[in-house]
Amino acid sequence: MDADRVDGSSVEDMASAIAEGRYQAIGEILEAAVVRGERRWTYTDIFDHVFLSRSLGIPIFLTLLWAVFAFTFALSEPLMIIIEEVFGALGGIAGAGISNPQVASFVAGGVFGGLGSVLVFVPPIFLLFFALSILEDSGYMARAAFVMDRLMQSLGLHGRSFIPMMVGFGCSVPAIMAARSIEGEKDRLITTLVIPLISCGARLPVYILIAGAIFGARYAGTAIFSIYLLGVALAIIMALIFRRTLLKGEPSPFILELPAYAVPRAKTTVLHMWARGKWFLIRAGTIIFGTVVIVWFLAAHPWEATAGGEVIENSYIAIIGHGLEPLVRPFGWDWMAAVALLFGLLAKEVVVGTYGILLGVEEGALGESLVALGLFTPLTGFAFMAFVLIYVPCIATIATIFRETNSYRWAAFATAYLIILAFVVSGLIIAIGGLLGFS
Amino acid sequence: MPEKRLNQMERGERGRVIGISPCGSLRRRLMDMGIVRGAEIEMVRRAPLGDPVEFILRGYNLTLRGGEAANVLLEVG
Repeated sequence: MDADRVDGSSVEDMASAIAEGRYQAIGEILEAAVVRGERRWTYTDIFDHVFLSRSLGIPIFLTLLWAVFAFTFALSEPLMIIIEEVFGALGGIAGAGISNPQVASFVAGGVFGGLGSVLVFVPPIFLLFFALSILEDSGYMARAAFVMDRLMQSLGLHGRSFIPMMVGFGCSVPAIMAARSIEGEKDRLITTLVIPLISCGARLPVYILIAGAIFGARYAGTAIFSIYLLGVALAIIMALIFRRTLLKGEPSPFILELPAYAVPRAKTTVLHMWARGKWFLIRAGTIIFGTVVIVWFLAAHPWEATAGGEVIENSYIAIIGHGLEPLVRPFGWDWMAAVALLFGLLAKEVVVGTYGILLGVEEGALGESLVALGLFTPLTGFAFMAFVLIYVPCIATIATIFRETNSYRWAAFATAYLIILAFVVSGLIIAIGGLLGFS
Repeated sequence: MPEKRLNQMERGERGRVIGISPCGSLRRRLMDMGIVRGAEIEMVRRAPLGDPVEFILRGYNLTLRGGEAANVLLEVG
């Protein structure tokens, strides 16, 4: 290396000398041993000419991404419903077959409820990792990063962050696990921290209930769409803020080899899927299971007062809900909203079921009774939707953040910042909406 | 012979590396990928949004952002 181009540190000098020496040796061996033919177009050249072309590169990327998405969530949705019903039924059988009501309730609500909460994530996680393994093994994943890097760089992120964030629209848990493919630690942490703001599938039933009840069929779609946009905007803003404060620095360098395309082998793809998916089962699964058991206990006790979990108004959860009511009062919500949000920690769609139990009506009639009781105005309802979007995604997501970062501090930080952000944004919606004359 | 930085290369242009600006870990990573003095590099294409850039060297395809490629000096032609 030219002396004037070296910064004088002897370690750098030696590193250069070693690298140059190594490549010189490689070059000599190659020259002696390899006869090079004329360079011809390979399949990889032809594919890349299309897949990376200026005009088609991005449309092809978006199409493949949509295909991964459609495959994963279309196939997993019926499986998830089946798992939920099987475990509900098992709980019912156990409840009927065990004579001691407290043990029966524990087995039905705690054990089978907990197992169901873990296993319901198996179809989307395994199918998504199956689809992503195909992209990875075929050689396209590196190209996806190449195509999206410029856009993600302007958000302070790396090209590799794009796919995990998109996966977040389906479910935050596999999205955070997919963030593993991001090399730079800061890039990975920022991506992990903002993924919960991307509105996942479990939040949609809540939006549908609230928006359908208070905005009517005509405006519900617009209200729900604006909540999704709000989530994306917040994810971008928070990514920029984290990049400038907590996790300062440039995105990690983009030094990436584009491998030759290859037909993925079934065995490798299945092994990749299993290797990633089993971590969820073992590590996040234990935390989710434990939490469901705790929540079952709080909802079904004191045993006499709740009549064995039938009268939630008298449970410890309700006591906590009443205790939290002053916090949500300024937003125009009552203690039932606090209880519903607490249960929503299990999974966001549980907010809907909780309202059903608290109001004692079927899910179909739930919207009407929310309106009849005047629990939400358009403004407080929209703020509630925003709150559901932002506050802690669910136990499973927190458990996954904990396991992926291997740090309870980051999991606690994510939880705390999301709760604070939820209060701030919902408060702003109430305040600004009020100033604009909405109620 | 005219000199150029790697990020200034046109599509299909080839050059031979004559130096890498000192820049700590980035420099080492570039050298690990085979960008050392004497290596021949050909610019293949830019990403659809203009950055990063794809190159061929030593028979494989490598992608770098323009900002990183600017650290590599080549002689062309």
